[in-house]
Amino acid sequence: MKPQVSVPNKKIPRVFSLLKPYSLMVMLLVLFALISNGLNLWLPKLIGQGIDAFNTGNFAYKPLLIKFTGVSFVIFIFSYLQGIVQTYTSERVARDMRTRIALKISGQSFAFIEKTSPSKLLTNLTSDVDSIKLFVAQAIASIVSSIFIIIGASILLLGINWKLGLTTIAIIPIIGGAFYIVLRRVKSLFKKSREVIDWLNKVINESILGSALIRVINSQQLEYDKFFDASNRAKDIGLNILRLFAWLIPIIVFTANMAGLTILVLGGHYVINGRMTIGDFAAFNSYLALLIFPILVIGFMSNVIAQATASFARISQVLDAAELPETGILTGRLSGEVEVRNINISYGEKILLKDLSFRVEPGAKIAVIGPTAAGKTQLLYLLTGLIPATSGEILYDGQPISAYQSETFHSQVGFVFQDSIMFNMSIRENIAFSDTVTDQSLQKAIATAELKDFVDSLPQGLNTKISERGLSLSGGQKQRIMLARALAVDPKILLLDDFTARVDPQTESRILGNITSNYPGLTLISVTQKIAAVEHYEQIILLMHGEMLAAGTHAELMGSSPEYVQIFNSQQSTSNYEL
Amino acid sequence: MMNYNLNSLPASDLKNSTWVGLKSLLKLVEQEKKKIVLAVCAILLNSSLNLLGPYLIGHTIDKYIQTRQYHGVLVFAGILFTMYIVAFVSSYFQTNLMGGVGQRIIFELRNSIFNKIQQLPVAFFNENKAGDLISRVNNDTDKLSQFFSQSLMQFIGSIVTMIGAGIFLLVINFELGLATLVPALLILIFTRGISPWVKHKNALNLKSTGGMSAEIQESLNNFKVIIAFNRRDYFKKRFDTANRENYRTAIAAGLANNMFMPVFGLFSSIAQLTVLSFGIYLIIQGHFSIGLLVSYLSYATNFYNPLRQLASLWTSFQVALAGWDRISQILSLSSNLVTVFDHSTEEKSAALLEFRNVHFGYQGGFEILHNISFSMEQGKTYALVGPTGGGKTTTASIMARLYDPLEGTVLLRGRDIRSYTDEERAEKIGFILQEPFLFTGTVRENILYSNSRYHKFTNEQFLKVLLDSKLEGLLATFDQGLETAVLSGGDSLSIGQKQLIAFMRAVLRKPELLILDEATANIDTVTEKLLGQILDNLPKETTLVVIAHRLNTIENADEIYFINSGEVSLAGSFKEAVDKLMSGKRVS
Repeated sequence: MKPQVSVPNKKIPRVFSLLKPYSLMVMLLVLFALISNGLNLWLPKLIGQGIDAFNTGNFAYKPLLIKFTGVSFVIFIFSYLQGIVQTYTSERVARDMRTRIALKISGQSFAFIEKTSPSKLLTNLTSDVDSIKLFVAQAIASIVSSIFIIIGASILLLGINWKLGLTTIAIIPIIGGAFYIVLRRVKSLFKKSREVIDWLNKVINESILGSALIRVINSQQLEYDKFFDASNRAKDIGLNILRLFAWLIPIIVFTANMAGLTILVLGGHYVINGRMTIGDFAAFNSYLALLIFPILVIGFMSNVIAQATASFARISQVLDAAELPETGILTGRLSGEVEVRNINISYGEKILLKDLSFRVEPGAKIAVIGPTAAGKTQLLYLLTGLIPATSGEILYDGQPISAYQSETFHSQVGFVFQDSIMFNMSIRENIAFSDTVTDQSLQKAIATAELKDFVDSLPQGLNTKISERGLSLSGGQKQRIMLARALAVDPKILLLDDFTARVDPQTESRILGNITSNYPGLTLISVTQKIAAVEHYEQIILLMHGEMLAAGTHAELMGSSPEYVQIFNSQQSTSNYEL
Repeated sequence: MMNYNLNSLPASDLKNSTWVGLKSLLKLVEQEKKKIVLAVCAILLNSSLNLLGPYLIGHTIDKYIQTRQYHGVLVFAGILFTMYIVAFVSSYFQTNLMGGVGQRIIFELRNSIFNKIQQLPVAFFNENKAGDLISRVNNDTDKLSQFFSQSLMQFIGSIVTMIGAGIFLLVINFELGLATLVPALLILIFTRGISPWVKHKNALNLKSTGGMSAEIQESLNNFKVIIAFNRRDYFKKRFDTANRENYRTAIAAGLANNMFMPVFGLFSSIAQLTVLSFGIYLIIQGHFSIGLLVSYLSYATNFYNPLRQLASLWTSFQVALAGWDRISQILSLSSNLVTVFDHSTEEKSAALLEFRNVHFGYQGGFEILHNISFSMEQGKTYALVGPTGGGKTTTASIMARLYDPLEGTVLLRGRDIRSYTDEERAEKIGFILQEPFLFTGTVRENILYSNSRYHKFTNEQFLKVLLDSKLEGLLATFDQGLETAVLSGGDSLSIGQKQLIAFMRAVLRKPELLILDEATANIDTVTEKLLGQILDNLPKETTLVVIAHRLNTIENADEIYFINSGEVSLAGSFKEAVDKLMSGKRVS
């Protein structure tokens, strides 16, 4: 999957396009900004008028006080309003953007999430959205008011004396050029800096998730060294960026000062020659001061825009990802019949499953046995539609998974994953993970998974939150909660991935007995290591290196497959103790 | 017992932690003293040149342009040009020095947070969501780093300019100066008054951001469950709740942050009005002149403009402070697993490991182990069996000192286990955890993780080592052998494969005591036989502690302990252990 980012419009960064739905708010924002900034230009004029009035002896306190206070107050109101609109607009853009990304992610396949990597998606949802938020909050209003001021001041300058005006306005392209050069060089550094930050985050994440191992091995120093390398690199890049930026401000100030000097020398010359009044000369100076700040603002905001554009491009990759094909329309009860037909799965060179075919009758119990990395888990992922097959078909009642409505399908196929996946929620929410779970089926699932005693022993029972405040579950308890989760949907087909690995034999046999009596007619496909527990199953499939080596009942395999016999013998010495 | 839950630290601790944190921040600044002095000198020079410029231009206008002496204009233009060049250089150094200080402070800070996290025990990680921790270390440090790298210099520059302008204001006319500064005082009072509230709003927002990251992290990392149980809507719903909550707190924080700007603007306008009206009053009284009033107005602007800039900086300062609080909560924690001096050296016990009247429970939970005593001798193999949830993993964790008992002692070679340094202990005790963890890298890197012995070996030499330890057969399942890529947390390797790597990693460290906590649960029985032979091949002195459900894994044990409901009892024989396990004597 390679999302095609449409060619961005050269003149207007794509990031502006996302403002469309908020145009009313953005217009309000710009309006308020213009009003408060425009009025701000009026205040010096009022002071000037006051001084002139005093000079000519027409000074009166009252009108000045009223006017000045009035204008200041209106500015206060509008800049406050601007702040409010700014907050709402930027936060709304951020919120909606997150919702859009989350909506997109929620409709994606497992393969997409694995490929894009959860941590990258987390960055998309947090820091990328943040930089867009910053763009909306700061860039829009300030750029519009800056352009407004620059144009206004330029017109005034040219109106007074076009020759001197042109010399003064010449600072705009010079400062613009300086920004362009610095920002272009900074851009590649920013990219590097982001890579280093990703690296830093990876070290942090792994040191948090692997904290137990690190403490057992006492490798804190090693982790610190890894972190230090990344951190040091981040510091160096930060210093490089700083060095570039450290040039920028002096250049701008110097250029502006040169313009002031030009006005002094050239304007002074005009005044001395009588071609310019001293008043106009003074005005030139004050307009120059007015001109510089907005140029600076645009320069810095162009950086904000550049970062937001980059973030938006990253987000767009997610938003533009292909939708999953519509799920099918078939509803209704599955019989429990499953057929695997000529399945192949390969990732690049690596073959995970090779030409695999078998059939499971409704209500049958079959086991999949094989060494580590034989492709057993992949087979189960395939059966639940988590991963696609490279070629071949999976048929439920003669229909491919894609023909079924996903709701229908998933509510009838229960899957107990090999790794314990608990959510930071109550036990009830962890088990009743699907909408359709009734209280009755919840209780049945809990009883079947032999969790009733455990749940009853907790003061808050089913409402106990998992993995917070010291409630540490054992591996077996987690495994049984996972089983209850799969059973709670009242499935027709149950897939177990090495379920017995962490549950003691006695509980295991009780649970398997419970399943048979509480869920009659359930089709069971169990990936397991232990032959004893599945000896009586209708079919046992021996999988090795992605290939089906043998299939049949226990007795058949004992007679026909030397590999099966080898596995059986490896468990023989203790089999007389198994139930 | 230490409370490690960051989201439920009592308020008094919170205040305390801010202080502890601030002290450590000051320590960081200490090292930068020289650079800061230099930077402040550059800032002072630059600011005074900037203040001097308009004055010289005014002087030139009055003295030479008004009197039409072009030569004087050129002379002063020359002086100004020289000044601007000096300002250019000082401005560059100001940014470079101060920015460098900021970068280095944030570098030290980042390192000390990471270092602190490395020092904290496993309990800390169990009580906090990984997503929230990651958000604190990444996101909150980033907020601080933004402040240090971007705002700090402007902050100091503004303050210096303000002070300079303020001095000018007071020197030119003390009365008028005081009147001009009154609005600034009001701003100060206003800022002091609302800052705690603003900071609180920002803290709430950072907290909900942390919560949202944790939510996203959890859902995305477990996406296969969400798909398999058709709970995409649930993911959306939970995310929407977190997103809405974050929106709500962000609006509140944003509205609070946007208070400063308009208020600062209003007060600085009032200051200008004060200068104008009070100034004119003074002129009428004959204490002031029109020329002075004009320059006074510009100095007032020079005072209030940076103040307005400070208003916007103040916001990022508040955000940084809120982030700082969350970070200093971590910095204020300390490990509860300290190394103690064991003064009872005389009681030599023959046992390698001994539990004496050990009681244990997790923070905020029930007691899980009740008064456990047992001892294990060197070179023997012990099995811990019992129903799920009985306390086996907890017992093993205490053996490896991931936790200390609440009561009682654990003795390693007759000495309190707490008297060993972490290094000594890690060398003596190997522990293969129930959930194998791998780092992003290669299989080789993961097997040799923190193992200096074979670090420099070439692949050929290393394969020879594996061959000698009979470990090389385990590599067969990895399609690229030692160079097979590993993605931490990814599904590229099966759990069985991860367990194989964890097994090799632990065995190659040659510990005296090796604990296997269901370490081979997801490995097929044929390979498991191989693992058994590898364990048999370990030096005779190695003591093994095996936790397993599969009986064949434990049948070779010398002793079998039965652990149930927090009690440990010795099973006389394998047969007895099995009978116990099968007899249904379980509460869980």
